[in-house]
Amino acid sequence: MFKFLKKKYHQQNRNHKVVVLGIDGVPYSLLNRFIDQGIMPNLASLAGKGTLTDMTATIPEISSTSWSTFMTGVNPGRHGIYGFMELQDGSYKWRFPNSSDLKSSTLWDIAGKNGKQSIVINVPSTYPARELNGILTAGFVALDLKKATYPESAYEYLKGIGYRMDVDTRKAQESASALAEDIGQTFEIRKKAILHFLDNKDWDLFVGVVTETDRLHHYLWAALNDTDHAQHTFFIDFYKKIDGFIGELYSRTGDDIPFIIVSDHGFTTIKKEIYLNVWLKEQGYLSFRKDKPESLEDMNPESRVFVLDPARFYIHLEGKYPHGSVTMSDYNTLRNKLKNELLSLTFDGEKVIKSVYFKEELYNGDMFDRAPDLVVLSYDGFDMKGAINKTELSGNSFLTGGHTRDNAVFFMNRDINSKDVNIVDVGPTILSLLGIHGSFDGKCLI
Amino acid sequence: MTQDEMEKLMSMGLEEKIEHSKKVIKEAIEKYGPENMAVAWTGGKDSTTMVWLFREACKELGVQMPMCMFIDEGYVFDEIWDIFNQLKNDWNLDARIAKNTDVSDKAAKVGDMVKVSSLNERNKKEIEVLEFEDEEFPFEPESFVGNHLMKTVAMNVFLEDNKVQALATAIRWDEQEARIEEDYFSTRKIPPHMRVQPILHFKERDIWDFIFKYKVPFCVLYKEGYRSLGAKGSTVKMSDIPAWEQDLENTYERAGRGQGKEEIMSKLRDLGYM
Repeated sequence: MFKFLKKKYHQQNRNHKVVVLGIDGVPYSLLNRFIDQGIMPNLASLAGKGTLTDMTATIPEISSTSWSTFMTGVNPGRHGIYGFMELQDGSYKWRFPNSSDLKSSTLWDIAGKNGKQSIVINVPSTYPARELNGILTAGFVALDLKKATYPESAYEYLKGIGYRMDVDTRKAQESASALAEDIGQTFEIRKKAILHFLDNKDWDLFVGVVTETDRLHHYLWAALNDTDHAQHTFFIDFYKKIDGFIGELYSRTGDDIPFIIVSDHGFTTIKKEIYLNVWLKEQGYLSFRKDKPESLEDMNPESRVFVLDPARFYIHLEGKYPHGSVTMSDYNTLRNKLKNELLSLTFDGEKVIKSVYFKEELYNGDMFDRAPDLVVLSYDGFDMKGAINKTELSGNSFLTGGHTRDNAVFFMNRDINSKDVNIVDVGPTILSLLGIHGSFDGKCLI
Repeated sequence: MTQDEMEKLMSMGLEEKIEHSKKVIKEAIEKYGPENMAVAWTGGKDSTTMVWLFREACKELGVQMPMCMFIDEGYVFDEIWDIFNQLKNDWNLDARIAKNTDVSDKAAKVGDMVKVSSLNERNKKEIEVLEFEDEEFPFEPESFVGNHLMKTVAMNVFLEDNKVQALATAIRWDEQEARIEEDYFSTRKIPPHMRVQPILHFKERDIWDFIFKYKVPFCVLYKEGYRSLGAKGSTVKMSDIPAWEQDLENTYERAGRGQGKEEIMSKLRDLGYM
């Protein structure tokens, strides 16, 4: 090839590459604050090169659902991932959806069909690894590195460097400092793996996700604003490291390659956890055969409603569940009644629930039938829980931070065409930057 | 065995691998006698390959074929029963079923709860050893107690009852990481017996090459995309194309096996779910 052609080819090639850094559970407002405080200088300089904005996540606002929407560009009614757990068909047993339950093509499936290579590191809900044109090592909930990784050679590399799939959250039982240390170590090895694949392998689409941020927030959110907290400095220093990593990545890719930063939900301080199944029990909608139920198998057949984490309400419909007791003719009356009662729920005089959605307001697609009948969003500070073994309506746990649907973050080193960004828009935007167009629920932001 | 020796064995050609396996089998038969041996047969591709190799070796030695042990853990695919019955007849196998009926009789279907107090002394003792303290446990493949009683205990009782001195199993080095430590012969303490593992050096690809070359019948589920067959209900297919046409070298054979429910639940609990 002639030199000038080669150069042109190279440029074109660069124009059709995309880098995505996922930062699990990072709020837009927190990044803004750290920019203002000079804690994240690299991000500050990047923000001047494009758009740093807040973004809404999926409902429910949890990683499995939100990242599944990110990686497919469609709503849960199409991709089918509504949460971390479901009930098995025809039973009340738990079932944990994994990558084989995702019903829509991923960005890397689509890129692969268009002859493009992808490297996908630590995206939640991609376990076990499915075959792709490229490399993938799965994120939460990944159990076995070998099953989590494609192809074998990537597994060998990761095993060789002592790669960690996740923070060992059991360390939290030991001490906050042990957990902090583990978060730090896991991030270092994650960084190493991401930079290795970025530098040494061919790719058109590169997606690397850092989940340590989410773990830090869940356990140590209280350390953020409390300067006396033993882990306060760790928290701030960790964000300096995140900023350093952003700078390192950007110095390798540069202005020519579209560079996206995205989180899957925001975070806020938990004032109280609210146990929605206890509320249902108190209102007479739900009862169990045991004082300490272990699963919904212990639910009494006459129960009319139950909740799965975090705030998915299911009507115990006849025909849909083995012992379902609610008839379709009562379905809407019951939903309306629940909605009104939930909206008036208060705790210490404060309203708990901001919005109640019926499933048809949120979802559409082939997997619509599996959608929760109602989903609620709370006011910040109230953390909705689907635990079934609680006896009090509210309480506090070892976790100090909880998710928000608003205030997730989106950055791109380009201008975007909308002020209203939702995580469903990110996938179509990425594919469009790769020169691929298709039919998605999200809009293209460029 | 050293890594080098293992790699050398794994890189042999198919015919060499077959001969090497037969050599291991003959050594075991000569040492223990066919009447004191059992061949663990699941109806899956690996153990069916091993049964075929045993028949060949026995033919060459002019001795009878050892009994086959089939563990019925209570959730066997119908398609596995089909191949079991077909080969039992066609190959004239002395195939015996190991089943912990004391447990399975207490459950009408998978998922039913089994009361510990309803079980016989042997099973109660086994549960005690597991340090399991609840009054009941679910009859299902992924439950810790259920799995132990229906698989391990069923096998141990079978070995004791049949006075088996050597049990042949069809594990392979390339199957999963934990298998790397394995050797052709290794002793087991509970109950005391020798484990013979004659096809350790076969790779997944070799198994399919072998099956097609020697026209060995296999379970139809592989054609539907299953790569590795475990209990019904805890085994899924990761692809819709036949097992042997999948990217065997770069994807994980056992990816469709067992969800690891307990581990997932514990991880979710750590993040405040469940």
